[in-house]
Amino acid sequence: MKPEAALKGGSKISATKAIFIKELKIEFRNKQMINSMLILALMVLASFRFIFSFIDFSETELAAPILWVTFFFSGMFALAPIYQREVEQGTKECLTLAPISASTIFFGKFFSSFLVIMGLNLFSMVLFFVFFSQPFPDMISLITIIVLGTIGFVALGNLISAISANISQSQVMLPVLLIPILLFTVVMTSVEATYQIFDGQTLADLADGIKLILAFDIIFVASGYLLIDYLMEE
Amino acid sequence: MPDEILIASGIRRSFGKKMVLNDLDLQLNKGDIYVLFGSNGVGKTTLVKILATLIHSDKGDITHFGMNGEDDIKDIRRKIGFMSHEPYLYRDLTASENLDLFADLYSIPDKEKRIEEMLKMVELYHRSYDRVGSFSRGMKQRLALARTLLHSPDMVFLDEPYSGLDLNAQAMLNRVIKKMNEEGVTFFLITHDLEKGLEIATRKGILAKGKIVEKPEASSQDFITQYKEILETRGGAKGGIQN
Repeated sequence: MKPEAALKGGSKISATKAIFIKELKIEFRNKQMINSMLILALMVLASFRFIFSFIDFSETELAAPILWVTFFFSGMFALAPIYQREVEQGTKECLTLAPISASTIFFGKFFSSFLVIMGLNLFSMVLFFVFFSQPFPDMISLITIIVLGTIGFVALGNLISAISANISQSQVMLPVLLIPILLFTVVMTSVEATYQIFDGQTLADLADGIKLILAFDIIFVASGYLLIDYLMEE
Repeated sequence: MPDEILIASGIRRSFGKKMVLNDLDLQLNKGDIYVLFGSNGVGKTTLVKILATLIHSDKGDITHFGMNGEDDIKDIRRKIGFMSHEPYLYRDLTASENLDLFADLYSIPDKEKRIEEMLKMVELYHRSYDRVGSFSRGMKQRLALARTLLHSPDMVFLDEPYSGLDLNAQAMLNRVIKKMNEEGVTFFLITHDLEKGLEIATRKGILAKGKIVEKPEASSQDFITQYKEILETRGGAKGGIQN
Protein backbone atom coordinates (compact mmCIF):
# COMPACT_ATOMS: atom_id res chain seq x y z
CA MET A 1 0.00 0.00 0.00
CA LYS A 2 1.24 3.47 -0.84
CA PRO A 3 2.36 5.44 2.21
CA GLU A 4 -0.10 8.32 2.29
CA ALA A 5 2.26 10.78 3.91
CA ALA A 6 4.78 10.26 1.13
CA LEU A 7 2.37 12.17 -1.08
CA LYS A 8 2.24 15.04 1.35
CA GLY A 9 6.00 15.43 1.57
CA GLY A 10 8.17 15.98 4.59
CA SER A 11 7.58 18.74 7.06
CA LYS A 12 10.37 21.28 7.12
CA ILE A 13 11.30 20.68 10.72
CA SER A 14 11.52 16.90 10.50
CA ALA A 15 13.46 17.13 7.22
CA THR A 16 15.88 19.67 8.73
CA LYS A 17 16.29 17.42 11.76
CA ALA A 18 16.96 14.41 9.52
CA ILE A 19 19.68 16.29 7.60
CA PHE A 20 21.12 17.63 10.88
CA ILE A 21 21.39 14.14 12.40
CA LYS A 22 22.79 12.70 9.17
CA GLU A 23 25.50 15.38 9.02
CA LEU A 24 26.52 14.84 12.65
CA LYS A 25 26.65 11.06 12.24
CA ILE A 26 28.84 11.38 9.15
CA GLU A 27 31.06 13.98 10.78
CA PHE A 28 31.65 12.02 13.97
CA ARG A 29 32.31 8.83 12.00
CA ASN A 30 34.75 10.07 9.39
CA LYS A 31 35.98 13.03 11.48
CA GLN A 32 36.93 14.88 8.29
CA MET A 33 35.97 18.31 9.65
CA ILE A 34 36.96 17.68 13.25
CA ASN A 35 40.44 16.39 12.48
CA SER A 36 41.30 19.14 10.00
CA MET A 37 40.08 21.83 12.42
CA LEU A 38 41.89 20.43 15.43
CA ILE A 39 45.19 20.08 13.60
CA LEU A 40 44.96 23.53 12.00
CA ALA A 41 43.98 25.22 15.26
CA LEU A 42 46.87 23.59 17.04
CA MET A 43 49.33 24.49 14.28
CA VAL A 44 48.20 28.13 14.04
CA LEU A 45 48.32 28.69 17.79
CA ALA A 46 51.67 26.91 18.13
CA SER A 47 53.08 29.01 15.25
CA PHE A 48 51.97 32.26 16.90
CA ARG A 49 53.40 31.15 20.23
CA PHE A 50 56.71 30.29 18.56
CA ILE A 51 56.90 33.55 16.58
CA PHE A 52 56.00 35.77 19.51
CA SER A 53 58.49 34.08 21.82
CA PHE A 54 61.25 36.03 20.02
CA ILE A 55 59.77 39.51 20.17
CA ASP A 56 58.25 41.81 22.72
CA PHE A 57 54.55 42.31 22.26
CA SER A 58 51.43 43.10 24.18
CA GLU A 59 49.52 39.84 24.49
CA THR A 60 46.35 41.69 25.36
CA GLU A 61 46.44 43.65 22.10
CA LEU A 62 47.16 40.61 19.97
CA ALA A 63 44.86 38.16 21.74
CA ALA A 64 41.81 38.99 19.62
CA PRO A 65 43.52 38.73 16.19
CA ILE A 66 45.30 35.51 17.21
CA LEU A 67 42.04 33.95 18.36
CA TRP A 68 40.10 34.92 15.23
CA VAL A 69 42.86 33.98 12.79
CA THR A 70 42.82 30.55 14.45
CA PHE A 71 39.02 30.26 14.20
CA PHE A 72 39.05 31.61 10.66
CA PHE A 73 41.65 29.31 9.11
CA SER A 74 40.70 26.15 10.95
CA GLY A 75 36.99 26.74 10.33
CA MET A 76 37.43 27.61 6.67
CA PHE A 77 39.01 24.29 5.78
CA ALA A 78 36.43 22.46 7.85
CA LEU A 79 33.59 24.00 5.81
CA ALA A 80 34.89 22.91 2.41
CA PRO A 81 33.64 19.29 2.47
CA ILE A 82 30.09 20.07 3.64
CA TYR A 83 28.60 20.25 0.13
CA GLN A 84 31.59 18.83 -1.73
CA ARG A 85 31.02 15.36 -0.28
CA GLU A 86 27.39 15.40 -1.50
CA VAL A 87 28.67 16.08 -5.02
CA GLU A 88 31.45 13.49 -4.80
CA GLN A 89 29.16 10.75 -3.49
CA GLY A 90 26.37 11.74 -5.89
CA THR A 91 23.97 12.09 -2.97
CA LYS A 92 23.24 15.67 -4.00
CA GLU A 93 21.02 14.28 -6.76
CA CYS A 94 19.05 12.18 -4.26
CA LEU A 95 18.58 15.17 -1.96
CA THR A 96 17.53 17.32 -4.92
CA LEU A 97 14.90 14.76 -5.89
CA ALA A 98 13.42 14.53 -2.39
CA PRO A 99 10.18 16.55 -2.04
CA ILE A 100 11.68 19.00 0.40
CA SER A 101 12.67 22.61 0.21
CA ALA A 102 16.40 23.09 -0.39
CA SER A 103 16.38 25.46 2.58
CA THR A 104 15.87 22.45 4.87
CA ILE A 105 19.15 21.06 3.52
CA PHE A 106 20.83 24.42 4.15
CA PHE A 107 19.56 24.68 7.72
CA GLY A 108 20.27 21.03 8.53
CA LYS A 109 23.86 21.48 7.40
CA PHE A 110 24.12 24.94 8.98
CA PHE A 111 23.04 23.77 12.45
CA SER A 112 25.26 20.68 12.41
CA SER A 113 28.35 22.51 11.18
CA PHE A 114 27.68 25.34 13.66
CA LEU A 115 27.59 22.82 16.50
CA VAL A 116 30.83 21.16 15.44
CA ILE A 117 32.71 24.39 14.63
CA MET A 118 31.47 26.13 17.78
CA GLY A 119 32.65 23.19 19.89
CA LEU A 120 36.02 23.27 18.21
CA ASN A 121 36.27 27.06 18.53
CA LEU A 122 35.71 26.75 22.26
CA PHE A 123 38.41 24.08 22.37
CA SER A 124 40.74 26.43 20.42
CA MET A 125 39.93 29.16 22.94
CA VAL A 126 41.03 26.88 25.78
CA LEU A 127 44.20 26.05 23.83
CA PHE A 128 44.82 29.77 23.41
CA PHE A 129 44.79 30.32 27.16
CA VAL A 130 47.15 27.36 27.56
CA PHE A 131 49.61 28.69 24.96
CA PHE A 132 49.41 32.35 25.98
CA SER A 133 49.58 33.43 29.61
CA GLN A 134 46.66 35.76 29.22
CA PRO A 135 44.52 36.96 32.14
CA PHE A 136 40.96 35.71 31.74
CA PRO A 137 38.59 38.39 30.47
CA ASP A 138 34.82 38.36 31.09
CA MET A 139 34.24 34.84 29.76
CA ILE A 140 30.48 35.22 29.20
CA SER A 141 31.11 38.24 26.99
CA LEU A 142 33.92 36.49 25.13
CA ILE A 143 31.87 33.35 24.47
CA THR A 144 28.88 35.44 23.36
CA ILE A 145 31.03 37.20 20.74
CA ILE A 146 32.50 33.88 19.60
CA VAL A 147 28.99 32.40 19.24
CA LEU A 148 27.71 35.41 17.28
CA GLY A 149 30.79 35.53 15.04
CA THR A 150 30.64 31.79 14.42
CA ILE A 151 26.98 32.01 13.31
CA GLY A 152 27.88 34.43 10.50
CA PHE A 153 31.04 32.54 9.66
CA VAL A 154 29.24 29.19 9.38
CA ALA A 155 26.26 30.63 7.47
CA LEU A 156 28.44 32.27 4.84
CA GLY A 157 30.78 29.27 4.83
CA ASN A 158 27.87 26.93 4.07
CA LEU A 159 26.66 29.18 1.29
CA ILE A 160 30.10 29.47 -0.31
CA SER A 161 30.65 25.73 0.16
CA ALA A 162 27.43 25.09 -1.80
CA ILE A 163 28.56 27.48 -4.55
CA SER A 164 32.09 26.11 -4.81
CA ALA A 165 31.01 22.44 -4.66
CA ASN A 166 29.86 22.68 -8.27
CA ILE A 167 33.08 24.29 -9.45
CA SER A 168 36.20 22.38 -10.39
CA GLN A 169 39.01 22.81 -7.83
CA SER A 170 36.44 23.68 -5.20
CA GLN A 171 39.00 23.35 -2.40
CA VAL A 172 40.82 26.35 -3.88
CA MET A 173 37.69 28.28 -4.76
CA LEU A 174 36.20 28.18 -1.27
CA PRO A 175 38.91 30.29 0.40
CA VAL A 176 39.13 32.59 -2.64
CA LEU A 177 35.42 33.36 -2.37
CA LEU A 178 35.17 33.22 1.41
CA ILE A 179 38.17 35.20 2.65
CA PRO A 180 37.40 38.64 1.17
CA ILE A 181 33.78 38.62 2.31
CA LEU A 182 34.38 37.23 5.77
CA LEU A 183 37.42 39.35 6.60
CA PHE A 184 35.62 42.62 5.98
CA THR A 185 32.41 41.62 7.73
CA VAL A 186 32.15 39.09 10.54
CA VAL A 187 35.86 38.65 11.28
CA MET A 188 36.64 42.37 11.38
CA THR A 189 33.74 43.22 13.68
CA SER A 190 34.32 40.16 15.87
CA VAL A 191 38.02 40.95 16.28
CA GLU A 192 37.17 44.48 17.34
CA ALA A 193 34.59 43.29 19.87
CA THR A 194 36.92 40.58 21.20
CA TYR A 195 39.72 43.14 21.58
CA GLN A 196 37.48 45.34 23.68
CA ILE A 197 36.56 42.36 25.89
CA PHE A 198 40.23 41.59 26.47
CA ASP A 199 40.63 45.29 27.25
CA GLY A 200 38.22 44.93 30.15
CA GLN A 201 34.90 45.95 28.60
CA THR A 202 31.67 43.95 28.91
CA LEU A 203 28.77 43.15 26.59
CA ALA A 204 26.89 46.23 27.75
CA ASP A 205 29.73 48.39 26.40
CA LEU A 206 29.69 46.64 23.04
CA ALA A 207 26.10 47.15 21.98
CA ASP A 208 27.00 48.70 18.60
CA GLY A 209 29.54 46.02 17.75
CA ILE A 210 27.10 43.27 18.67
CA LYS A 211 24.37 44.84 16.53
CA LEU A 212 26.76 44.90 13.58
CA ILE A 213 27.75 41.23 14.00
CA LEU A 214 24.07 40.32 14.37
CA ALA A 215 23.27 42.22 11.17
CA PHE A 216 25.93 40.25 9.28
CA ASP A 217 24.58 37.00 10.79
CA ILE A 218 21.07 37.80 9.59
CA ILE A 219 22.27 38.80 6.11
CA PHE A 220 24.32 35.62 5.66
CA VAL A 221 21.65 33.26 7.00
CA ALA A 222 19.01 34.96 4.84
CA SER A 223 21.29 34.77 1.78
CA GLY A 224 21.74 31.05 2.33
CA TYR A 225 18.00 30.56 2.72
CA LEU A 226 17.22 32.52 -0.44
CA LEU A 227 19.99 31.20 -2.70
CA ILE A 228 20.22 27.52 -1.80
CA ASP A 229 17.32 26.56 -4.10
CA TYR A 230 19.28 27.75 -7.13
CA LEU A 231 22.48 26.14 -5.93
CA MET A 232 20.97 22.71 -5.38
CA GLU A 233 19.37 22.59 -8.82
CA GLU A 234 21.41 22.16 -11.98
CA MET B 1 -4.90 9.92 -13.54
CA PRO B 2 -4.49 9.95 -17.30
CA ASP B 3 -3.04 6.91 -19.02
CA GLU B 4 -0.17 9.01 -20.35
CA ILE B 5 1.80 9.72 -17.22
CA LEU B 6 4.72 11.31 -19.00
CA ILE B 7 4.68 13.26 -22.24
CA ALA B 8 7.92 14.73 -23.54
CA SER B 9 7.95 16.65 -26.78
CA GLY B 10 10.67 18.42 -28.72
CA ILE B 11 13.37 17.77 -26.13
CA ARG B 12 16.72 19.24 -27.07
CA ARG B 13 19.93 19.21 -25.13
CA SER B 14 23.44 20.14 -26.21
CA PHE B 15 26.81 20.14 -24.51
CA GLY B 16 28.88 22.78 -26.25
CA LYS B 17 28.60 22.06 -29.96
CA LYS B 18 27.51 18.49 -29.42
CA MET B 19 23.75 18.01 -29.58
CA VAL B 20 22.86 14.81 -27.75
CA LEU B 21 19.07 15.08 -27.83
CA ASN B 22 17.45 16.54 -30.92
CA ASP B 23 13.68 17.23 -30.85
CA LEU B 24 13.08 13.99 -29.01
CA ASP B 25 9.50 12.90 -28.32
CA LEU B 26 8.43 10.28 -25.79
CA GLN B 27 5.24 9.18 -24.15
CA LEU B 28 5.03 6.83 -21.18
CA ASN B 29 1.76 5.17 -20.27
CA LYS B 30 0.77 3.89 -16.85
CA GLY B 31 2.04 0.35 -16.41
CA ASP B 32 4.77 0.53 -19.05
CA ILE B 33 8.15 -1.02 -18.59
CA TYR B 34 9.87 1.06 -21.23
CA VAL B 35 13.41 -0.06 -21.95
CA LEU B 36 15.59 2.30 -23.95
CA PHE B 37 18.75 0.92 -25.47
CA GLY B 38 21.70 2.79 -26.86
CA SER B 39 25.45 2.65 -26.98
CA ASN B 40 27.74 4.54 -24.60
CA GLY B 41 27.77 8.31 -24.92
CA VAL B 42 24.61 8.51 -26.99
CA GLY B 43 22.74 10.62 -24.40
CA LYS B 44 20.78 8.01 -22.44
CA THR B 45 21.80 9.30 -19.03
CA THR B 46 21.15 12.90 -20.09
CA LEU B 47 17.66 11.91 -21.21
CA VAL B 48 16.80 10.01 -18.06
CA LYS B 49 18.04 12.88 -15.87
CA ILE B 50 15.90 15.34 -17.83
CA LEU B 51 12.86 13.09 -17.47
CA ALA B 52 13.55 12.65 -13.75
CA THR B 53 13.66 16.48 -13.30
CA LEU B 54 17.31 16.42 -12.32
CA ILE B 55 18.57 18.55 -15.20
CA HIS B 56 16.86 20.91 -17.62
CA SER B 57 16.52 20.49 -21.34
CA ASP B 58 17.54 23.39 -23.59
CA LYS B 59 14.18 23.23 -25.32
CA GLY B 60 10.97 21.20 -25.21
CA ASP B 61 8.11 20.43 -22.87
CA ILE B 62 7.64 17.64 -20.36
CA THR B 63 4.43 16.81 -18.54
CA HIS B 64 4.49 14.38 -15.61
CA PHE B 65 1.14 13.07 -14.33
CA GLY B 66 -0.58 15.95 -16.09
CA MET B 67 1.56 18.46 -14.20
CA ASN B 68 3.96 20.84 -15.79
CA GLY B 69 6.32 23.55 -14.68
CA GLU B 70 8.39 24.59 -11.72
CA ASP B 71 5.39 25.11 -9.45
CA ASP B 72 4.59 21.40 -9.53
CA ILE B 73 8.14 20.17 -9.19
CA LYS B 74 7.76 18.91 -5.60
CA ASP B 75 4.50 17.12 -6.41
CA ILE B 76 6.16 15.50 -9.41
CA ARG B 77 9.21 14.47 -7.41
CA ARG B 78 7.04 12.85 -4.73
CA LYS B 79 5.76 10.49 -7.38
CA ILE B 80 9.01 9.52 -9.05
CA GLY B 81 12.03 7.45 -8.13
CA PHE B 82 15.44 7.59 -9.74
CA MET B 83 18.33 5.18 -9.54
CA SER B 84 21.59 5.91 -11.28
CA HIS B 85 24.33 3.50 -12.34
CA GLU B 86 26.25 4.88 -9.36
CA PRO B 87 24.64 3.92 -6.02
CA TYR B 88 24.70 7.46 -4.52
CA LEU B 89 24.67 6.40 -0.88
CA TYR B 90 26.29 7.75 2.27
CA ARG B 91 29.18 5.37 2.88
CA ASP B 92 29.59 6.47 6.51
CA LEU B 93 25.98 5.56 7.34
CA THR B 94 24.60 2.06 7.74
CA ALA B 95 22.15 0.55 5.24
CA SER B 96 19.32 1.18 7.66
CA GLU B 97 20.41 4.78 8.35
CA ASN B 98 20.58 5.56 4.62
CA LEU B 99 16.97 4.46 4.21
CA ASP B 100 15.94 6.13 7.46
CA LEU B 101 17.16 9.51 6.19
CA PHE B 102 15.09 9.28 3.03
CA ALA B 103 12.11 7.89 4.94
CA ASP B 104 12.21 11.12 6.97
CA LEU B 105 12.63 13.33 3.90
CA TYR B 106 9.60 11.66 2.28
CA SER B 107 7.65 11.51 5.60
CA ILE B 108 6.99 7.82 5.25
CA PRO B 109 4.66 6.59 8.01
CA ASP B 110 5.62 3.52 10.01
CA LYS B 111 9.09 3.90 8.55
CA GLU B 112 10.75 1.11 10.54
CA LYS B 113 8.38 -1.44 9.03
CA ARG B 114 8.83 -0.03 5.53
CA ILE B 115 12.64 0.01 5.86
CA GLU B 116 12.62 -3.60 7.06
CA GLU B 117 10.37 -4.56 4.14
CA MET B 118 12.67 -2.89 1.61
CA LEU B 119 15.85 -4.35 3.08
CA LYS B 120 14.30 -7.82 2.96
CA MET B 121 13.20 -7.24 -0.63
CA VAL B 122 16.77 -6.50 -1.75
CA GLU B 123 18.14 -9.27 0.48
CA LEU B 124 20.19 -6.94 2.68
CA TYR B 125 18.24 -7.22 5.92
CA HIS B 126 21.08 -9.18 7.55
CA ARG B 127 23.41 -6.23 6.81
CA SER B 128 21.05 -3.51 8.09
CA TYR B 129 23.47 -2.18 10.67
CA ASP B 130 26.66 -2.38 8.61
CA ARG B 131 28.15 0.73 7.09
CA VAL B 132 27.66 1.08 3.36
CA GLY B 133 31.39 1.70 2.95
CA SER B 134 31.94 -2.00 3.67
CA PHE B 135 29.47 -3.14 0.96
CA SER B 136 30.39 -4.56 -2.44
CA ARG B 137 29.27 -2.65 -5.52
CA GLY B 138 26.41 -5.07 -6.10
CA MET B 139 25.16 -4.66 -2.54
CA LYS B 140 25.30 -0.88 -2.88
CA GLN B 141 23.24 -1.09 -6.08
CA ARG B 142 20.64 -3.23 -4.32
CA LEU B 143 20.47 -0.78 -1.44
CA ALA B 144 20.12 2.07 -3.95
CA LEU B 145 17.17 0.21 -5.44
CA ALA B 146 15.60 -0.06 -1.98
CA ARG B 147 16.05 3.69 -1.48
CA THR B 148 14.54 4.39 -4.91
CA LEU B 149 11.41 2.36 -4.15
CA LEU B 150 11.15 3.32 -0.47
CA HIS B 151 8.50 6.02 -0.96
CA SER B 152 6.43 3.85 -3.34
CA PRO B 153 6.86 6.01 -6.44
CA ASP B 154 4.38 5.77 -9.33
CA MET B 155 7.11 6.11 -11.93
CA VAL B 156 10.68 4.89 -11.61
CA PHE B 157 13.67 5.84 -13.74
CA LEU B 158 16.56 3.41 -13.78
CA ASP B 159 19.87 4.33 -15.37
CA GLU B 160 21.92 1.23 -16.25
CA PRO B 161 20.54 -0.68 -13.26
CA TYR B 162 22.30 -3.95 -14.13
CA SER B 163 25.70 -2.31 -13.91
CA GLY B 164 27.78 -3.94 -11.16
CA LEU B 165 25.20 -6.61 -10.36
CA ASP B 166 25.99 -10.31 -10.51
CA LEU B 167 23.60 -12.70 -12.28
CA ASN B 168 21.58 -13.43 -9.15
CA ALA B 169 21.19 -9.76 -8.35
CA GLN B 170 20.22 -9.00 -11.97
CA ALA B 171 17.52 -11.67 -11.78
CA MET B 172 16.37 -10.26 -8.42
CA LEU B 173 16.17 -6.77 -9.94
CA ASN B 174 14.00 -8.02 -12.80
CA ARG B 175 11.75 -9.86 -10.31
CA VAL B 176 11.34 -6.66 -8.29
CA ILE B 177 10.57 -4.61 -11.42
CA LYS B 178 7.95 -7.12 -12.56
CA LYS B 179 6.37 -7.29 -9.10
CA MET B 180 6.21 -3.51 -8.72
CA ASN B 181 4.90 -3.20 -12.27
CA GLU B 182 2.05 -5.59 -11.43
CA GLU B 183 1.21 -3.20 -8.59
CA GLY B 184 0.92 -0.36 -11.12
CA VAL B 185 4.38 1.20 -11.08
CA THR B 186 5.68 2.46 -14.41
CA PHE B 187 9.34 1.95 -15.25
CA PHE B 188 11.62 3.75 -17.66
CA LEU B 189 14.89 1.93 -17.86
CA ILE B 190 17.98 2.62 -19.93
CA THR B 191 20.58 -0.01 -20.55
CA HIS B 192 22.91 -1.45 -23.14
CA ASP B 193 22.31 -4.96 -21.81
CA LEU B 194 20.00 -6.23 -24.54
CA GLU B 195 19.29 -9.62 -23.00
CA LYS B 196 18.28 -8.35 -19.55
CA GLY B 197 16.41 -5.37 -20.91
CA LEU B 198 14.37 -7.32 -23.42
CA GLU B 199 13.46 -9.85 -20.74
CA ILE B 200 11.25 -7.35 -18.94
CA ALA B 201 10.39 -4.72 -21.58
CA THR B 202 6.77 -4.11 -22.45
CA ARG B 203 7.93 -1.30 -24.75
CA LYS B 204 11.34 -0.85 -26.23
CA GLY B 205 13.19 1.80 -28.14
CA ILE B 206 16.64 2.75 -29.31
CA LEU B 207 18.29 6.12 -28.78
CA ALA B 208 20.43 7.13 -31.73
CA LYS B 209 21.33 10.49 -33.26
CA GLY B 210 19.40 12.32 -30.56
CA LYS B 211 16.05 10.64 -31.25
CA ILE B 212 14.19 7.56 -30.09
CA VAL B 213 13.41 4.89 -32.66
CA GLU B 214 10.61 2.73 -31.26
CA LYS B 215 10.14 -0.87 -32.40
CA PRO B 216 6.85 -1.97 -30.85
CA GLU B 217 6.19 -4.95 -33.08
CA ALA B 218 9.69 -6.40 -33.31
CA SER B 219 10.46 -9.75 -31.71
CA SER B 220 13.53 -9.88 -29.51
CA GLN B 221 15.66 -11.38 -32.26
CA ASP B 222 14.45 -8.88 -34.86
CA PHE B 223 14.99 -6.06 -32.37
CA ILE B 224 18.60 -7.10 -31.79
CA THR B 225 19.22 -7.18 -35.54
CA GLN B 226 17.56 -3.79 -36.02
CA TYR B 227 19.46 -2.36 -33.05
CA LYS B 228 22.76 -3.28 -34.67
CA GLU B 229 21.61 -1.84 -38.01
CA ILE B 230 20.52 1.43 -36.42
CA LEU B 231 23.79 1.82 -34.61
CA GLU B 232 25.65 1.33 -37.88
CA THR B 233 23.45 3.46 -40.17
CA ARG B 234 22.55 6.30 -37.79
CA GLY B 235 25.91 6.58 -36.11
CA GLY B 236 24.44 5.92 -32.69
CA ALA B 237 27.63 4.41 -31.47
CA LYS B 238 29.42 7.69 -32.13
CA GLY B 239 27.22 9.54 -29.70
CA GLY B 240 25.66 12.89 -30.48
CA ILE B 241 25.47 15.16 -33.47
CA GLN B 242 28.09 17.78 -34.13
CA ASN B 243 26.54 21.14 -34.89
